[in-house]
Amino acid sequence: MSEILVARGLIKSFGDKRVVDGLDLDLGTGSVLGLLGPNGAGKTTTLRMLYGFVEPDAGDIRYDGQLLRAHRDELKGWIGVCTQHDTLDHDFSVEQNLRVYASYFRPKLADLDRRVAELLDAFGLREFAKQPPRQLSGGFQRRLMIARSIVHQPRVLFLDEPTTGLDPAARVDVWRLVAQLRAQGMAIVLTTHYMDEAERLSDAITVLARGKAVARGTPREILGEVLGEHVAVLDVADVDEVALRAWAQARTGNQPARVLEEWQIPLSASQLAAFSETFAHCRFTVRQPTLDDLFLRLAVEPTAPEAA
Amino acid sequence: MNPYLRDLADWRTRAVFLRNAQVYLRNWRTAFLPPALEPVVSLLAFGIGLGAYVGAMKWHGQSVDYISYMAPGLVAQTVFATPFFETLYSSYVRMFYQKTWDGLLATQVELRHIVWAEITWASARGVLNATVVCAVLATANALGIVHVHAAWLVALPLIGFFVGWCFAAFGLCFTAIVPSIDHMNFPVFLVGVPLGLISNTYFPIDAHQGWLAAAMHANPIYHLAELYRSMLLGNAPDAHVWWLLGTSVGWLLVFATAAQALVQRRVLAQ
Repeated sequence: MSEILVARGLIKSFGDKRVVDGLDLDLGTGSVLGLLGPNGAGKTTTLRMLYGFVEPDAGDIRYDGQLLRAHRDELKGWIGVCTQHDTLDHDFSVEQNLRVYASYFRPKLADLDRRVAELLDAFGLREFAKQPPRQLSGGFQRRLMIARSIVHQPRVLFLDEPTTGLDPAARVDVWRLVAQLRAQGMAIVLTTHYMDEAERLSDAITVLARGKAVARGTPREILGEVLGEHVAVLDVADVDEVALRAWAQARTGNQPARVLEEWQIPLSASQLAAFSETFAHCRFTVRQPTLDDLFLRLAVEPTAPEAA
Repeated sequence: MNPYLRDLADWRTRAVFLRNAQVYLRNWRTAFLPPALEPVVSLLAFGIGLGAYVGAMKWHGQSVDYISYMAPGLVAQTVFATPFFETLYSSYVRMFYQKTWDGLLATQVELRHIVWAEITWASARGVLNATVVCAVLATANALGIVHVHAAWLVALPLIGFFVGWCFAAFGLCFTAIVPSIDHMNFPVFLVGVPLGLISNTYFPIDAHQGWLAAAMHANPIYHLAELYRSMLLGNAPDAHVWWLLGTSVGWLLVFATAAQALVQRRVLAQ
């Protein structure tokens, strides 16, 4: 699989705050890279640098070996972007949104009518073609956003939290569309908060925290690498918080996460054995870690869990 | 090629301009109403109503009724105010509320093209609105309400294009710095209204020296109003032509440069 997108040493600061700090990324043709991380991790800024919205302070971005900053006009034509927020043109109909958006790219599409018809059918938008986007449901507006972002037949597609705010059925619809685009050979970079989405759609995941990549690999590899194989779950009423925190800090190097009335502690097999001995008087359950646990870890820990 | 001219001529500037034009054409019926009704109201209220009390005025040695004195000022005011308000309000809505610019920046269009397209479109709207005002004045002239050389009305809107460009760029500077749309009251009432007042649009100001004379001479609207007046009232265009050209182009360069920098800072430093 050839690399269509390679980024090295990306750095971006806004004022005194370093938002992205020395990030490397690779994306192969026909693959999906998931960018995960809690709010403020630097996902959207990373995406914006990759698609040319903002300039990195340092670092290189190459598409098929060509530097983005040196061949910007041409390479931006290779890129499709579905932004996190609604940027649809509500002054136009669904069909006009596709047509007008195509006018922002060169070279011009040889057969725009055919391309627009193709997208209206593929994304189930045909019956709404003459309606303004505002009259569509959230799920169909998202479909239109994605359809619009590929009207010019890009080679790389950026999807910034494409299912945020959608109901479960609409999310599944978007997943299906993303899978189709991937099958057609499009390279996709996806940011998301949802672990199931990242697991289902991504070939590889990069987890960001405070602007740095803190883990890379498949979802299972990342969970094992960062969190361990197990998560012990205890009722807060059943355990002394001070003792639990002290034990977790001493044995795992991390603090337990509190979720409502539960303590959750990611553990390796040996740590789980030690935990069972120490907290034998407590009732607890053990389950497999999920990306939710990873998010909680990244959110509660003041330092990146690279040493975990 | 000069980078400004290059960006201005770029297909991306044209694409964004055409986008705005397409939206206007979809809503032209509502967009048409203000420029058609405002001059009618102004002619009735100020020209006929107030004009009855003012009576005849002396302008460049000739006696002119107030409504005919005011008519060229109406066109000049439209040429200046329409682009200024367009970039203050409509551009702000596209930038902040509708996220239209965010959508554009995810394409091959760059922010500098959006800036040029916005100010050029705003100026074009000034020309369109001024054309409607001129049509109203032509009708009023035919009805004997005003007395002007109506043939020149055809040329007035296009002559004002540079002034519109200049004030569209000026408006965009404020759009780039105001914290919210409510703060537009500052540029409107502290800048726009005073500029309109010291430009001989609705009443003459007899200032030949001092700060007021300097401000008037630096103000393209003043030269535009006086040029329009000389065309419509039968005087030969005088030095105002050159003043108009110099101040319009000069301020355009200043404001367009500032607008580019300020908009870049606002949009890209998020």
